[in-house]
Order: sequence, then C-alpha cells, then structure tokens
Amino acid sequence: MAKVISWRTVLFVLLVGTACRGTNDRGGWTERVQDQSLAKPAISVTPIDQPGLKRLIRERNGKILLLNIWATWCAPCVAEFPDLVKLSQTYNTAEVEVVAISADYADEVDSKIIPFLKKMNVPFRVYVAQFEHQEDFINAVNRSWSGALPVLLIYDSHGKERFFHVGQQSYNDFKKEVDKIKGGL
Amino acid sequence: MARQLSIVLTAVMLLGSILQADDTKKRVSDFTLEDYNGAKHALTDYKTSKAIVLMFISTQCPVSNGYNGGMVDLYKDYSSKGVAFIGINSNSQENVEVLRNHSKEHGFEFTVLKDWNNVVADKLEASVTPEIYVLNSKLEVLYHGRIDDSQRGNRVASKDLRAALDRILAGKAVEVPETKAFGCSIKRVQ
Repeated sequence: MAKVISWRTVLFVLLVGTACRGTNDRGGWTERVQDQSLAKPAISVTPIDQPGLKRLIRERNGKILLLNIWATWCAPCVAEFPDLVKLSQTYNTAEVEVVAISADYADEVDSKIIPFLKKMNVPFRVYVAQFEHQEDFINAVNRSWSGALPVLLIYDSHGKERFFHVGQQSYNDFKKEVDKIKGGL
Repeated sequence: MARQLSIVLTAVMLLGSILQADDTKKRVSDFTLEDYNGAKHALTDYKTSKAIVLMFISTQCPVSNGYNGGMVDLYKDYSSKGVAFIGINSNSQENVEVLRNHSKEHGFEFTVLKDWNNVVADKLEASVTPEIYVLNSKLEVLYHGRIDDSQRGNRVASKDLRAALDRILAGKAVEVPETKAFGCSIKRVQ
C-alpha cells in the first residue's frame, strides 16, 4: 500500500511540475505571478481628523510630503489631478510621499470619491476630511488659507511647511517646488 | 541715551499703528462694473442702503450653486429691510451671456455684475466663490466670509451672514465679523 501511495505521490508531483513548467514556458504563469505581486490593493479612502492630520505631517520618516487638498466638485482640482499622479510616479516613495485629502463629504466616498480615484488610477493615499466644522479643517491645514480649492502644501522631511499654494498647478510647478526642497534650497 | 530714546519712540509708534489697525475697519474704494445687460453700477450708488452685501459668485462652482436658493431667500428677507445685494462674477471663463442665463434660471432678482480682469476681486482680495463682504454706507467692511457653515441646508449650524445682517440692522456691532469662506477658487486672468 505504502508503495502504491508513494508512486501516486511521485506521479502527482511530476504532473504538477510539468504543468507548471509548461505554463511558465509560455509566459502565462509568470505573468500571473507577476500580476499577483503587482496587484494594487483596492482603493480605500479613510477619514482624517485634526490629530490625524497633525500625525500625517509630523511623522515624516525622512520623506518629503506633498499634500493636496481637493474635491470632486472642484474643476481645477480635477484638472490638475493627473499631474499629481504623474508626480507621485516621478520620485522614489521613500523620498517623496504624495497624499491627498478630499474636501467632499465623508458620505460621498463610495458615490463620488472612489469612482474618481479609480478613473485616475491613483497610486497614493487619499483621505476624506472629517472635521466638525469646515473652518476647523481650513485652519488646521493653514491659518492663512482662505478656503478656496485646490490647495497644495509641501512639507520637508522634518514636517516643516515649505510651500503653500492655492489654485491649479501643473506637473512642472509641483516638480519645481519638490526639487527645491530636495536640493536643500 | 539717544539710542534708548529711539528704541522707545519706535516701540510707541509700533504700538500706535497696531492700535489703529485694530480700531480701523477695512474700507473698500469705489468701483464701477457693468451688469449682464451692460448697465453701469457704481458701489457708491448703493450708499443709501443700510448695508451692502457683495457676493462673489460663480455659475459653475457647485458650492456657489449650492447657495443659489439661499441667496434668493436672503434677498427676499433683507432687501425689504434696506439691504442691497450685489452679485459679482470675477471668473475669467464665465461671460455675460452665461451670467444672464444663470441669473434667470435661478431667479436672481439682485444685480449681478461682471468683474472683467478680476479688478474688484483683486481690490477686495476675494479668492473664493461664494465669498461675502458686507459694507456700511461708508463702504467699510462689517462682515467678511461665508454665507453659512454648510452648503447642505440640513447641516447648517451657523447662519453667519444672517447673524451679521441682523446685528447691523439692529445697530449693533457684528459679533463674528470674519469667517472663512469655503468653495471654488476664483478663476483669475493669467
């Protein structure tokens, strides 16, 4: 009996080995494995409150933070978003981190925010602002912010705010400011 | 000794200027803009009003549009009490034809002016739609900021513009003269 099982086991291993090698030779298996290793996690948008915002800015771990405040209803925010995605792919994520905070309502995550992020193929973290009052959010971001969107802030690797801009910008604008900070200017 | 005196004098002058700044309301200089029918309107035309409400608005901004009904209600409730309402559109991409249609569509009975080249927005440093300035007859800013704290009517907790107008009409100082307006940035000419 033990002999029979042993031969069956050997035969099974051989068959599986052949099947795997065969698939691998055609490239399909390798692709599937690569697909799994590169598979992006489902886009999720989590709420961020005042302590969370402070933590995000403070806990830099040596990375520059490019923080974008936007909303799905804001036309210039939507227009500049592809440039933000492009910028996030320009730098090593260990050096420059792009994070966006949506000013949409928290109950619009599934209906508005996530569909937009999927369309944009967003590779970075996105939060939705969860503050009791809009003014609390505005002041927590920057006291001199009027409340107009979009807003871009850049913090250096120590969490110090180095750049603040209200209004639509381009990839080159973003990159110029990040490079200044990276270059120690 | 002369140096010490100089430091004291500088400190006194600085303190004086700070006190003056606290005491002095921001004053808007007169301007003239055309409405969507081409009629000219000077700010001083409205000086006899008990208050002048300048509303920077947009035809395209969802936040501004979220207040269309609210602005109509404000006009109905306060124009009969002597308050003048003026909408100002400073967005470079919105022309007078768009303004006219938008105003008619939403039943705006108040004047809507076109601020070409965002001259008035620059003068007042307005940056958002909707953004409100309430002036007295001396064209001093008594209130600046938002209409209320949420464009969703059922979430409004603080009716800031109404509170300011009620205080002004009662002859009292506005309790919260400055709030942050939240919305779309004014699309200025490049």
